[in-house]
Amino acid sequence: MSFFNSLTPAAPGAPSPAETQALPARRPYYEVAETDGGYTLTINLPGVPKDGLEITDEGGELRVAGKRSNKLPEGVVVLHRESSEAPFELVLEHDNTIDPAKTEAELKDGVLSLKLAKAESAKPRKIAVT
Amino acid sequence: MHLINYTHRNSFPVTRFGGRLGAQDIENELGWLFGSALGGLAPAIIGGQFPVDLYEDKDNTYVRAELPGVNRDAISVEMVEGSLSIQASRKENGAEGEGTVSFNRLVSIPDEVQSDKVTASYENGILTVTLPRREESKPKKINVSVN
Repeated sequence: MSFFNSLTPAAPGAPSPAETQALPARRPYYEVAETDGGYTLTINLPGVPKDGLEITDEGGELRVAGKRSNKLPEGVVVLHRESSEAPFELVLEHDNTIDPAKTEAELKDGVLSLKLAKAESAKPRKIAVT
Repeated sequence: MHLINYTHRNSFPVTRFGGRLGAQDIENELGWLFGSALGGLAPAIIGGQFPVDLYEDKDNTYVRAELPGVNRDAISVEMVEGSLSIQASRKENGAEGEGTVSFNRLVSIPDEVQSDKVTASYENGILTVTLPRREESKPKKINVSVN
């Protein structure tokens, strides 16, 4: 239903959906690069502090959720606003060849770098012919 | 064996419907597009730019910009004839090789500010510039005695 709600402008004076319910999560900008030992995932999460970040890897699904702490200070007059307070969410499927125990995460200046290591079983193996 | 077999570039604010999009994504994108169009809040934003907020309290005017992953050294902020110029660059190591991406934005500041007292901070990829207003441009309370 929210699809249609978002298409229909609220009546003048009525509270906007943003004021009455939680904002829907937005998919952040991200890039994936393959490295020798795995993959590097770079995700732009401006305004997300370390404690607002939740990363899970379960059943072949990597999920990154970030709550933003970019609320405007109380009592200010807003002249122009382009930023959003909507949380970020990125869900990526993988074929379980990632070793979640070896995943490294670093959050710096609003950019999350995830180093995903390939599981040993997924690495190419040379088989000697006897 | 693959993690993701496509590159999905939907960098805010330019939206490209590349890659695989689910219904939820399209809903979000449409919601944002319609929200901004109908709300009449943000003007058309073109590529290479970044979202900016402008707000004020009784002493200062503030400009806030989303610039994730930029080195502090690569951010330049200056006042030019009543406008605040924000420039930044970011080094990227993409699949196409190394490159530098530049961003710039000129924000018109409605009030007279003390250009020499402008300060800026950068946290979690968000740049906040504080521009103290000149005394004469602050709202003044005038007492009128009624006889």
